Amino acid sequence: MRLTTLCLLLTACGDKDTETGASDTDSPGDDTSEQDTEEMEGFPNTSCADHADPCVQIAAGDAEALQETSNLLVDGQTIVLAEGTWSMDNQVTFRSADGVSLIGQGMDLTILDFADEKVQTNGVDAISDGFLIQGLTVIDAKKDGIRVEDSEGITFRDVRATWTNKESSENGAYGLYPVSSSDVLIEDCEAHNSADAGIYVGQVQRTIVRNNLATGNVAGIEIENTQYADVYGNTATGNTGGLLIFDLPGNPIIGRDIWVHDNTVTDNNTPNFAPGGTVGSIPAGTGTIVLASRRVVVENNTYANNNTADIAIINGLAIEGSLDSWAISEGDLVGDLDGLDLDVGEGVVYNFSTRDVLVSGNSHSGSGTDPDLDDVVNRPIGTIVGLVYRDSGFPVDDVLYDAINESSSSPTEVSGNSNDNRICVGANTGGTYASLDLETLAAKMENFELPQITDVYRPASPFAPFDCTNLEGGDIPKIELGG
Amino acid sequence: MIVVLLACSGEEPGDTQAAEDTSAAPEVWAPVEIDPDVQPPPLLSELGLTRWDGSALSYHDEALAYELNTPLFSDFALKDRAVWMPEGRSATVNSDGSLDFPVGTVILKSFLFPADFRAPADDLALIETRVLLRGSAEWSAWPYLWRADGSDAELHVSGDVQTIDFVDPYGAPRTAQYLVPQRNQCVDCHDQYDAKGERVLMPIGPRSRSLSGEVLTALTGTAAAGDSVQVSWTAIESGGVDSLSSAEVEAAARDYLDINCAHCHSPKGVEGVTSQFFLNHDNTDPFNLGICKRPGSAGEGGVDREFDIVPGNPKASILWYRTATEDIGAMMPDIGRSLTHDTGAELIWRWIAEMEPDDCQ
Repeated sequence: MRLTTLCLLLTACGDKDTETGASDTDSPGDDTSEQDTEEMEGFPNTSCADHADPCVQIAAGDAEALQETSNLLVDGQTIVLAEGTWSMDNQVTFRSADGVSLIGQGMDLTILDFADEKVQTNGVDAISDGFLIQGLTVIDAKKDGIRVEDSEGITFRDVRATWTNKESSENGAYGLYPVSSSDVLIEDCEAHNSADAGIYVGQVQRTIVRNNLATGNVAGIEIENTQYADVYGNTATGNTGGLLIFDLPGNPIIGRDIWVHDNTVTDNNTPNFAPGGTVGSIPAGTGTIVLASRRVVVENNTYANNNTADIAIINGLAIEGSLDSWAISEGDLVGDLDGLDLDVGEGVVYNFSTRDVLVSGNSHSGSGTDPDLDDVVNRPIGTIVGLVYRDSGFPVDDVLYDAINESSSSPTEVSGNSNDNRICVGANTGGTYASLDLETLAAKMENFELPQITDVYRPASPFAPFDCTNLEGGDIPKIELGG
Repeated sequence: MIVVLLACSGEEPGDTQAAEDTSAAPEVWAPVEIDPDVQPPPLLSELGLTRWDGSALSYHDEALAYELNTPLFSDFALKDRAVWMPEGRSATVNSDGSLDFPVGTVILKSFLFPADFRAPADDLALIETRVLLRGSAEWSAWPYLWRADGSDAELHVSGDVQTIDFVDPYGAPRTAQYLVPQRNQCVDCHDQYDAKGERVLMPIGPRSRSLSGEVLTALTGTAAAGDSVQVSWTAIESGGVDSLSSAEVEAAARDYLDINCAHCHSPKGVEGVTSQFFLNHDNTDPFNLGICKRPGSAGEGGVDREFDIVPGNPKASILWYRTATEDIGAMMPDIGRSLTHDTGAELIWRWIAEMEPDDCQ
């Protein structure tokens, strides 16, 4: 049976004269699942009739056929999965072919179940320019749900990555994970219960992330070391942190131009269940963190009921104090650095700074009422914020800025606060603002003094000297995906 | 090239003769005819390079069997390796120690499990043979799965997970969930970035530093030194990690990490480059080597551990933990092992333990 199917596929691939994927079907000796595709049951929403050749339809549960097709790919291969559930003992891997599409009948109808995976692999793992994955769910992958790496032009549409157990550190790391790639579209997708990030766009040039839902993850949506991102219409709720923008130390793609707008970021109060790593430092109750990032706009989003704070603007040195960790050799740098104000050393560029951030027009309600202060070792920022506001009689301010590397800061005088990093919150009139001067507060704690609300600069709207209302260097350009 | 031409010109009588000879006297091998640019035949026997008699593999008399001085650990599997190059052709050594093989080269690597590794020649189960073909443009990889009766191996691209029971070299009963990789998983380890940043499929084992001078000389056709590994793995397995001097521990650990990890964890590694965690033997950057380096994400491998390497404290080091654990979700390498390589884990433990202590704070 195995070899028959193999030969069948090879015949279809090698013979350019045959018409469509449906022509696979009349070969003798094949099992019924591949016969007469036009009439195959289980393809209510899409079949090879809707897709260009070469296309193969796979019957519900036929893991062997899916693996054989995946491992003998040709360029432009489309694989259409029936309605039903597949029990997989190894990942579905796509390599050595471009333009590959994996298409199911819809995220509620076509399920790839990796609970029986015997090895430490992902669910779907692809390297393919022009890769499309659509209309299916990946559940209980050992590592990442759907990982796509080193590819130009990637589309995730109507797919869900999830894990059965909630708040389990044994769940896989990332749900939807395009990395080291370019021109990535993620739309109408869902990611739930990942032990790191639900939707994680990493080291990507140009991405649009829109109209997705992330719940129950440590981090709902993360945009990491990415250049040019348009993130809108998403809902991040019930995660530890909702929507995060950051650079990892020393990564050669320096993040820039991230536009986060018209999202809903609410009730992100799930206790942090990450097994470790960078996300382990996110306090529960975090709406958005902008960390080690440049040219970020956060506007017209709805924030509510995030118990620690809605928006935190933080220098990378707050989580990794070693300057060397943030050093990138000039020769290693990748992507567009034009117009960025970066810290430099001898032959190196540092990506710890957070600079040129516009926070504008967001709505804020009900947040900051119960900050996550219990774990000073793993989440010291949560502890500091919690202690500062604990006896203040009011909730944590909606927008926080750590003022690290500002030339001056003062809890009392407007003129005592520099805004060297051009943090602009003047048009964010729906929320409150505070500069926390994290270095000073941390130093107090090291001297066994409790930080107080009186240590914090809390200007009234429009929050001078942070009252600017424009992004330095002009708006983030509208993103056109290529690839 | 010459071989192919000869085979074509003398096609009819030659083929008949070869087939008769083969059945009558197994040690006689037909001329090799392999087109490296197309998918190889469905049965391994049709390649005409190796045979299995139930207790040992034999190879075509034009093929060269070879060993690596520090092998990649694969659930203790014994590995039988051979390379065949077209007649009159040889390999060349690149400046980085990798080898360029001529078009048409075939590399065979077979995986075997004895019932008891203390008697490694007895009661052998032959699981799979992986074939690398050097095509005119690039290498391609093809997994063959042996039939249970050992009569032949079949091209099997979709992978398999087999439960294999055996007694390990230390005398303990073990059960491997042994992964026969699917074809696309070959590239997880074998893909490297070349100088132009393109992904290319490369052999991993045969490099000047992993081969004996004798083998390297045979492959290249000129006298070659080879074997820059300072401590042979066989000696470590037989003498134990405790028998090594501190200098030998440093050298052996770096060699072990190089062969077991650096196909991903190097600046040229496709799968590992995003981690910026580089275990290639010639990496000299302490941060990239993992010293006090926080991982971007170590999955479950990061539970209760903050840094890849905490010098002087192996127990707190993610590197040691992920190589020692058998917990799916936490272990490294990602694929290729389900069991702990006790000696390898001990070596990494001692290597980290003997570093100048640093609490990374």
